[in-house]
Amino acid sequence: MSDLRIPTLNRVLLAGRLTRDPELKFTAGGIAVCNFALAVNRRYKDQTGQWRDEATFVNIVTWHKAAETINKYLHKGSPVVVEGRLESRSWETETGQKRSVLEVRADQVRFLEKSESSPDATLPDDPA
Amino acid sequence: MTELRLAELNRIFLVGRLTKDPEVRQTTNGTPVANFTIAVNRRYKNAAGEWKDETTFVGIVAWQKLAELCKQYLAKGRAVLVEGKLQSRSWETEDGQKRSLLEVRADRVEFLDRGDSRPAAEPAAGAPAEAPEPAGPTPGPQVDDDLPF
Repeated sequence: MSDLRIPTLNRVLLAGRLTRDPELKFTAGGIAVCNFALAVNRRYKDQTGQWRDEATFVNIVTWHKAAETINKYLHKGSPVVVEGRLESRSWETETGQKRSVLEVRADQVRFLEKSESSPDATLPDDPA
Repeated sequence: MTELRLAELNRIFLVGRLTKDPEVRQTTNGTPVANFTIAVNRRYKNAAGEWKDETTFVGIVAWQKLAELCKQYLAKGRAVLVEGKLQSRSWETEDGQKRSLLEVRADRVEFLDRGDSRPAAEPAAGAPAEAPEPAGPTPGPQVDDDLPF
């Protein structure tokens, strides 16, 4: 049998609502970047049998044309399904400490609100 | 037409290697919990057409039977496939700042290295696929947890 190499696998699927309006920025090279945060809910029964809600907050980053589409059509509270991969982003604080966070770089954002007449924002998977 | 509610969807699949041995502890009521970090690699072509590697480090938490299997079979450098959900964990630093991080709560950890004494690379066999909530759902038992890094 031949040896296998480790597959590249990093896939995330989330459904949730935007916790704030999306933020659109442009890189120095003019590439659109849109950031937003998603509240992903989970409902479970606790030990006493009561239903509880737990929210996970996930930062999402999108690029290019889709970034602009998202900024145009989505707002705080919009329901979406996001598909993408987990990435870490590092930076230094003002006091010189290194920090890093995990966020999802979306390949695809599907708009779920009925009033949204726009198509989904499908992003080319383009390493920036 | 009736109104729809938002589907509950929170699923993640990762393949990576452990950056160090898993840490396995027990909560105050005896539930085993394993923490480890995996390095997930991605290879891509940059604008100049060169291949580059990018690594993302992801904290994984596993509970109960799965935690014990991780302790038994995993070590630094081992390759795993992890399936689970993203969850956030919050805590306060010593100087009172609020911090939170994202980690993956594993439902399934598949051991990918050959030569493990275990017959099949399906550690969760025999354990329920979706482990029941450990004593008190998520935030509760993790409060006494410290950082995975």
